[in-house]
Amino acid sequence: MEPILKSTRLWKIYQVGRMEVAALRGVDLEIFPGDFVSIMGPSGCGKSTLLHVIGGLARATRGKVLLDGNDLAGMGDGARTLLRRHKVGFVFQRFNLLPTLDARGNIALAQHIHGDGFDPHRFEVVTRMLGIGDRLHHRPSELSGGEQQRVALARAIINEPKIVLADEPTGNLDTKNSENVLGLLRQLNKDLGQTIVMITHNPDAAAYGNRVLHMRDGIVVDGASAN
Amino acid sequence: MIRQMILRNVMFRPVRTFITVIAVAVEVTLILMVVGLTSGMLSDTAKRIEGIGADIMVQPPSASIFMALSGAPMPMEIGRRLAQLKYVRAVAPVLLQFNSTNGLDLIYGIDPESFREVSGGFVFHEGRDLQHPDDILVDDWYAKGRKVKVGDTLHVLGHDFHVAAIVEHGKGARLFVLMSTLQELAGAHDKASVFFVKCNQPEQTEKVMSAISGLLPHYEVRPLRDYLSLMTSSNLPGLQTVIRSMISLAAAIGFLVILLSMYTTIIERTREIGVLKSLGASRAYIVRIILSETTAMCMAGIALGIAMSFGARALFLAVFPTLTILISPWWIVRAASLAILGGWLGATYPAWTASRKDPVEALAYE
Repeated sequence: MEPILKSTRLWKIYQVGRMEVAALRGVDLEIFPGDFVSIMGPSGCGKSTLLHVIGGLARATRGKVLLDGNDLAGMGDGARTLLRRHKVGFVFQRFNLLPTLDARGNIALAQHIHGDGFDPHRFEVVTRMLGIGDRLHHRPSELSGGEQQRVALARAIINEPKIVLADEPTGNLDTKNSENVLGLLRQLNKDLGQTIVMITHNPDAAAYGNRVLHMRDGIVVDGASAN
Repeated sequence: MIRQMILRNVMFRPVRTFITVIAVAVEVTLILMVVGLTSGMLSDTAKRIEGIGADIMVQPPSASIFMALSGAPMPMEIGRRLAQLKYVRAVAPVLLQFNSTNGLDLIYGIDPESFREVSGGFVFHEGRDLQHPDDILVDDWYAKGRKVKVGDTLHVLGHDFHVAAIVEHGKGARLFVLMSTLQELAGAHDKASVFFVKCNQPEQTEKVMSAISGLLPHYEVRPLRDYLSLMTSSNLPGLQTVIRSMISLAAAIGFLVILLSMYTTIIERTREIGVLKSLGASRAYIVRIILSETTAMCMAGIALGIAMSFGARALFLAVFPTLTILISPWWIVRAASLAILGGWLGATYPAWTASRKDPVEALAYE
């Protein structure tokens, strides 16, 4: 099977004043369709940077990133924007919902940006699956953390992306809500075959994936199958 | 969707929106009032001059069509010579003087008989014609505005006048005194500022004008029928510059407030912009949102500004009934266009800044 995402000797170097800081030092990674990969590692090891680069938010300094056959490393800003729009769904630790829009608006916004217009059937399926059907007319400030993250999850998958990239999705949630969100991620992976890459500090959270990768000092040091 | 987002964004920050809308409204009001006042005054003056009913106006060489700007350099003898020309029925010399006591008013010094022959005479609401040296006629608008009655004493040009009558407006000025009195007060003995000429037959006006030009080479000889079209701000030295300066100032207010408002909004919403970018929003999409928000606030400001202008006009007219303020549809469109254009210009830099934000940095913004 062809990987949906493949990085080869991926480097990301930041310029800090006159210093060059390498956040990624030649990452080799393969994610296959239907994978649920957890990436663990200490703070500053480059996990978030890796997520940004493979998701097209940041440009790699060196190396290759193939996402669904498209080389992100060689793309300009406009092409990466298009790729994010059509192939990637992001979930963030801080939910990042637009405060002015209600839950429905936040989800529909992703569809609007995607450009195919509002799909009521898909909207209905996703919101029902995530259990937020009765919270759609509430603004983020009126939702609990768990509800906000479920809305963010709905926004991430509403356009049927090739891959969902979740950056510490349970980092701001209590245990109960964390389990709920992780359970939903697993459900999405199992029921819909959604490919997911999740960054986490928490080994219990990482265990929800079917593969766990460890990073240290900007490289992936090992990979293992999880339960 | 985008409309909903813009509306919510505008409503979400009510103080910012309120200040921006007010600034645009002030911009529109300032433009409409400045233009309305100047064009209103010019139009009013022109109509009053036309209302005299003369066919031709004779002024000294290089005199302005704005007669009040000219002095009184013409000897009265000219009037007598003009009266002898063929097709001339009557000539009315008029001496103009500005009064700055209790406001700014133009006073006509007239010879009642010749002025009556040219203009057909005043319509008297109350009182009688000029008879005594201290008599003054006031028009009905002036009387209403200043609450003047027949028999009152009116202090103008440092002199106490007796209000002899209240007359219908539209005969050149709002205050009329005897020519001899005004000549004495102005120190312009036997001099006039302008001669109004009435022809026997209006169709002979061109011939009479040619005859006058032959008699008085270099003098300004103008047909009154063209007067209204000549009374524009571009014909008054300096006025166009003043109007342009005021409009520029108003547009600058709108531009700066929008720039500041949208720039602070962009800073405040850095994270939101990062989210939009993560969702795949293009630069054009983000620029469109910012400019659409600006347009929405400008439209609200324009509507408020138009309402404020009509409100201000009503207020001005209540306090100064003799004023004329013209708020024309054409200038409403121009003021609105200026406000929108200024708003877009002001929002361009913030929109450009927002569209170029690095998504990773934007998402990390605290």
